[in-house]
Amino acid sequence: MIALEQVNKTYAPAPGRGRPVVALDDVSLQVPEGATWAVVGPNGAGKSTLFALILGFVHPTAGKITVAGLAPRSFVRRHGAAFLPERFSLPGSWTATAALHALARLEGHRGAEAKTRVADAIARFGLEPHAAKPIASLSRGLLQRVGLAQTLLSDSPLVVLDEPTEGLDPLWRIQFRELVAELRRAGRTTLIASHDLAEVERLADQAVLLEGGRVRELIPIRREPAGRRRYRIRLTRPVPALAEIFPGAVEPGTTGEDAAGDVAYSGDTAPATYLVEVDDDADLSARLAALLAAGATLSEVAPADEPLELRVRHALSGEEG
Amino acid sequence: MRAALELALLELRARRGRLLALAAFATVFLAAGAAARLLVADGDGHVDADQLFIIGGYPLVSALLLLGWLLGRFPLIATLVLLAGIVSGDRGAGYARIYAVRPTSPLAVYGVRFLVLAATAFVLCAVLLPTFDLLLLGTWAGPATLVLILANILAFGGLVTFLSACTRADAWIALFLAISALVWNALRAAGKLTIPIGVRDFISFLLPPQAALLRLEGAFGTLQPIPWDAFWLVAGYGLVLLAAAAIVLRHREL
Repeated sequence: MIALEQVNKTYAPAPGRGRPVVALDDVSLQVPEGATWAVVGPNGAGKSTLFALILGFVHPTAGKITVAGLAPRSFVRRHGAAFLPERFSLPGSWTATAALHALARLEGHRGAEAKTRVADAIARFGLEPHAAKPIASLSRGLLQRVGLAQTLLSDSPLVVLDEPTEGLDPLWRIQFRELVAELRRAGRTTLIASHDLAEVERLADQAVLLEGGRVRELIPIRREPAGRRRYRIRLTRPVPALAEIFPGAVEPGTTGEDAAGDVAYSGDTAPATYLVEVDDDADLSARLAALLAAGATLSEVAPADEPLELRVRHALSGEEG
Repeated sequence: MRAALELALLELRARRGRLLALAAFATVFLAAGAAARLLVADGDGHVDADQLFIIGGYPLVSALLLLGWLLGRFPLIATLVLLAGIVSGDRGAGYARIYAVRPTSPLAVYGVRFLVLAATAFVLCAVLLPTFDLLLLGTWAGPATLVLILANILAFGGLVTFLSACTRADAWIALFLAISALVWNALRAAGKLTIPIGVRDFISFLLPPQAALLRLEGAFGTLQPIPWDAFWLVAGYGLVLLAAAAIVLRHREL
């Protein structure tokens, strides 16, 4: 869906001021259609510039970008995009309803359809009591909800959200997660930039870690079936009963989170670490008790999936995860 | 196109403070004209300048002359005030990106906005100038008034829109160019420019067409026939700048 090949973006300095600023340097990415990707990284890493390039607001200094095979600006002119900028705002004298209606009309919705779309968007983000108020009188959180509501006016296959949960209270964060789940089910390609790594971990399939304008790492985010948990167990003396007690136990491969590198338990009794799946803590305790009763020696138990925050920290500090 | 019109009307609403300021400014002209007429109108409804001098001396006559001169600049002032930031305002505030991700063309968005704001400036001037003429002269210059207003709005509206598509501080740069054109044209008419003819003509070509505007203003002031060649020159200047603004809008980064 979105392809970036060795993209560079350098901003020229204002006349007589400083040096050119390299916002993105040699960035190559392939975002599949229907994927939900997050873009994370420190301030000034190039997240907003990456979005500006994908939406055709700015042109790359070098390299090539296509969205569904088209140049970004051509794609947006033809299909539009659902876009929430960082620090969303509209003229302060407009009411939320008037602003959303005008944007719905720009989206191409006519008459009754525009009104219905606006009413739905207002209801979805609980803006009814504030719909007739001027934008200037809305709090940061309400304004962010208006910003999210205006993204619902677009049916574009491309959704780009820059810091979408900023200013939202916990209740509306939950609503936002449901919105992202809907976008995923609808097969829309969604990009989310956020500093909230815990939120990113809940929402995205993959995180692109940017630092200093370069892609530092692509971090897959593993999604387990609802209710399942993965643990890493270290056995100094494994026993053959392991395969019965923990069906599907594997030795993790060298490719880290990539399940393709994992090796199934072969009945070996040499010390090793295994990845196992359980329903909950009680299930884990019962199965470990059975394993110990079968004669195994256990030296370590830990959650298998390191939080994204830790992985990002390791990547930025150059440590192994 | 109706979507762009809806947005343009909202934008006009956002600029209502400027509209009110212009209306208040226009009211000063009308109040001054009405006061002069009450004080020193002759039998034909003209304001008699000699009588005005007897009542108030130089200050009063000078004030009325200044008002008359400013009145001739009102279409320029109204155009700059209403159209300032027509494109750059959205870019600076970040709204341009919110509009740009919609399938409606930015040319439609800003083209219709230009028409709505220019039409508002035209209506404001078309009410003020003839009313002031009627108060002071007992008559008005007829269609020449409307042609003069339209010429100013096209020339300076085109200029400020082009500048706004390229940079910020559009209205201030346009005002600077308008004043520069006024001074340049006066120096040129007085034969005081001692630079090569090619350079002189090139600078005259780049600046707003002040000589043509003065011819239109002269016809308006002396109730002479409209110099259409001057009007088309001014209109052409504005339309070329609007076309250049459209090209910039299509390609410029946001």
